[in-house]
Amino acid sequence: MYLLRRAWTEMTNEVLVLPSRTLVLVWAVGLLLLPLVYSDAYVLRILTMTCIFAIFAASWDLLAGYTGQVNFGHALFFGAGAYTSALLSLKLGVSPWLTIWAGAAVAALFGYLSGYLCLRLRGSYLSLATLAFPLIGLGLLFAFPDFSGGELGVSGLQRMILGPTANYYVACVSMLVIVFGLWAIADSRFGIVLHAIRDDEVAARASGINTPRYKLAVFALSAAAAGYAGALLAHYLRVAGPSTLEVALSFQVVIWGIFGGVATIYGPVAAVFILYPLTEWLGSFRHFGELRLLIFAVIVLLVLLFMPRGLTPWVRDKIEAQCPRCKQRNFIFRKTCRLCGAPLQAQVTRAERLVGHQ
Amino acid sequence: MLQDILVTGLVNGGVYALLAIGFSLIFGVARIVNIAHTAFYMLAAYCFYTLLTRGGVGFTLAGIIAVVAVTVLSLVCYKLVIEPVREHESAVLIATIALGLIFQELMLAAYGGNFLGVPSTIEGVVRVLGVSIPYQRLLILVVAAVMLLATWFFLYRTRIGLAIRATANDLEVANLMGMNVHRLAMLTVAFSVGLAAIAGVVATPVTSIHPFMWLDPLVTMLAIVVLGGLGSLKGSIIGALIIAYVEAITVFTLPEGAHLKGVAALGIMVAVLLVRPEGLFGVAFEEER
Amino acid sequence: MLRHILGIVLALAAPLALAQSTIKIAILGPMAFVQGENHWAGAEMARDEINKAGGISVGGRKRMIELVRADTNEIQSVPDATNAIERVITRDKVDYLIGGFRSEAVLAMQEVAMDYKKIFLGAGAADARLGENVEKNYDRYKYWFRVTPTKAPDLFRTLMAVLNDIGQQVRTSLKTETPKVAIVAEKAVWTEPIVKGVQATLPKMKMEIVGTWQPSAIATDVTAELAAIERSGADIVFTLLSGPVGISLGRQMGERSMKAVAFGINVEGQKDEFWQAAAGKANYVSTLDTFAEVETTPKTVPFVRAFKQRYGKAPTYNAATYDAIMILKAAIEQAGSMDADKLVPVIEKMEHVGAAGTDTWDKRHDLVWAVGKTTGIAVQWQDGKKVPFWPPQIKGMQPYKMPAR
Repeated sequence: MYLLRRAWTEMTNEVLVLPSRTLVLVWAVGLLLLPLVYSDAYVLRILTMTCIFAIFAASWDLLAGYTGQVNFGHALFFGAGAYTSALLSLKLGVSPWLTIWAGAAVAALFGYLSGYLCLRLRGSYLSLATLAFPLIGLGLLFAFPDFSGGELGVSGLQRMILGPTANYYVACVSMLVIVFGLWAIADSRFGIVLHAIRDDEVAARASGINTPRYKLAVFALSAAAAGYAGALLAHYLRVAGPSTLEVALSFQVVIWGIFGGVATIYGPVAAVFILYPLTEWLGSFRHFGELRLLIFAVIVLLVLLFMPRGLTPWVRDKIEAQCPRCKQRNFIFRKTCRLCGAPLQAQVTRAERLVGHQ
Repeated sequence: MLQDILVTGLVNGGVYALLAIGFSLIFGVARIVNIAHTAFYMLAAYCFYTLLTRGGVGFTLAGIIAVVAVTVLSLVCYKLVIEPVREHESAVLIATIALGLIFQELMLAAYGGNFLGVPSTIEGVVRVLGVSIPYQRLLILVVAAVMLLATWFFLYRTRIGLAIRATANDLEVANLMGMNVHRLAMLTVAFSVGLAAIAGVVATPVTSIHPFMWLDPLVTMLAIVVLGGLGSLKGSIIGALIIAYVEAITVFTLPEGAHLKGVAALGIMVAVLLVRPEGLFGVAFEEER
Repeated sequence: MLRHILGIVLALAAPLALAQSTIKIAILGPMAFVQGENHWAGAEMARDEINKAGGISVGGRKRMIELVRADTNEIQSVPDATNAIERVITRDKVDYLIGGFRSEAVLAMQEVAMDYKKIFLGAGAADARLGENVEKNYDRYKYWFRVTPTKAPDLFRTLMAVLNDIGQQVRTSLKTETPKVAIVAEKAVWTEPIVKGVQATLPKMKMEIVGTWQPSAIATDVTAELAAIERSGADIVFTLLSGPVGISLGRQMGERSMKAVAFGINVEGQKDEFWQAAAGKANYVSTLDTFAEVETTPKTVPFVRAFKQRYGKAPTYNAATYDAIMILKAAIEQAGSMDADKLVPVIEKMEHVGAAGTDTWDKRHDLVWAVGKTTGIAVQWQDGKKVPFWPPQIKGMQPYKMPAR
């Protein structure tokens, strides 16, 4: 009973006061309740894939947005998780529910290794070096086709659970838990340190922060989440193939991440939920379905021209305002700040209003 | 076998160098990681193919038109797509990725996924040191050498080249000294894409043209510029030669390992980065505070 | 007002109600690429032919065929392919599925099709595992049949049969007892068993292997391999290439005026565009193929001619979707029903004379290998034309040519 009252006060005081958080609540509840109203297998499949890719995109954002290590080879972790889980469940007969965690663990190992190799690299050098990692991985996979199945990948995997709705819930719940977990990490003191590392690593080190440790930790964490997503996909499609390591996938997650807004965690998730079903819908047209990638790229470009910081910061700025005194966010139509009572609209100068996103 | 390696390495190195220098310049001067750089290479190839086989135009004229058209296109793209989002580095990044994808899909829609071929500019083979080298490859080598010399001359012996180098060295101070940084950036983009287009026109007779032909050179080119050091021209040339020779050695010495040449090249890149994080001759940019 | 709306709705609903009685067949393939184009083209030809004759007779009542075009985009994305197949099954409510090309994607698509117990006729993927699944778990996978090509290991048998003939010609024209063979096989899972088989079999066929080279499947330059092959003095270059390497190989062999002849699988060499792509240099390159104006069956020549007339180019093996639809028609008419469970045993016992060959299926629902029936043919590029030359007993075949020495 106490918990319910606690939840209620939390809800009214923390969540419902801000439109963005309300939206997230509505979205999460909507996702969970969807199969009850609409159980079309095709729609559930699209949403399952969207949830899986949302985990992938959120994990990229933790790495790229928060520590500034823009990873062009994130597909390596995705593929590592997929192949590990696939091989363990196929060759050793272990249940997929366990091998998924093994996949995440192996991916974390790859993350740690990649992070270690990239410790001294900065900026574009790091990005381009990370681009090489999945390609090296692909080359090695093709060099040992008996083990990895070469270009065919590993097939004949078991599903984790049967039935489209059940799979949807597995993906959906995983996504909600992982994304909220990542967001909680990013919003904590750990996250503040990550911000510091991105903004000015030298100053962070001068303040006594052991930046390599944090960078490695984030690499491993981000890789673990990506590996989990990869393993989920492998067991959903029942095939783990070299398509999980492709450059195109790495580029795709970069696009999702930046389109949605870096350093937000929810930004890339929103981007995936908008762009992936959109591309799929475009592809279903009988006669110009083949142009889906073209239309996708054009849309990304156009949106970028109008919202260069990404989609979610732009949307947030439209529905929320920042209090000039306490710097906390408020619903845009409020007259005074909900926390410190300062007037929100009257005396805010134009210059201050431009500095929106915190 | 040694002569094969020498020649193949040189020829491939020449093409890679053309691409790498352009990319490195754009990064150094305009601070743009132009993922679509090799996509312009692809566009020049398609343009050359169309003019040659469907337009019936002669080699030189087709080549010139292709190079000029692609250069102009790059300027248009820069103005429309890159310039509005210049301040947001990450937006520029995916803008170039999106551009590359758009070009790829346009070519796919226009020409289909087939592999197309262009007849050689010069037919015939010459035997040098026991190796038969097609004249086309010698042509590539000659053109690459000429363009590299031209680039060197442009950058080191003209005032504009001096301005470009200054901007690459330190953007803010160059701006303070009165150089129009935006115009220089556009000029650099035009010049670099021009180099890539020339590479496209000259190298296509030895490769197949298809909508995904920009991805493999992209990876190799990125490996080269990272290896040589972003923003360093000497680094790009030497990096190109190193990567080309590593690939040639892998292919010639391991007949069953030819497919590993990409892995070998990337491996060398990673190894060098471990030792020298800015690449061999790279300039480490001071973080802007 | 309401009456008008009701009238319009009824007017629109009526053809919909009638349309429900068509047989819906989904054609799945990478529509932006030549494989998908051929999938669709072959299917269109079958649909038009059948519909013109009134449709398929299902238990006495004739029903027309409606094709659903589904772009799987499998070359670029495997999840897109599984999305597409689920969409056509649940949204478009198709009755049968035909197509597929990239083995990795077809393996995933097969799972979806079997989940819904829909008949899925493969028209492009050669991986043996697709058939092995049928053998291992018959009740689940029995709805899968492969119409083209023969499974990868059977390609080996066809290759050896043709190589025998070519070897004989090489022996007579070069006056040597043991021709030298250089193997150029792309590094891929499908070539592994064939390469091993070739390495074991060639010595028994009195041919000497001078080396094995394995370029990457996406390579476009084979200078290194060819330089080494030239030095080794090979007479035959045995190719197992599905990617653009096939074009560069043909072109560079011609540019270097190499004395060796190239034979094997060269998927790019099967396309009409090959000659232009190789800049007119790939003379004497030969490869296995499926369609040509020869009498593999009485239906082959009319089909190939009609295809060329309608689409302006020759069909590739993916156009065997034509045969797939004809097989469905025969099965439905024989079983008198559209139910998948009733059709499976009918197809299993069927011998179908199609345009690509005479098809029968084994217990893996793969084509039974038989020369002249399901092996396809071998063609050689001679002066810009694709000339079929094997099996010699089929009417329409022309002689194999050797380069002048």
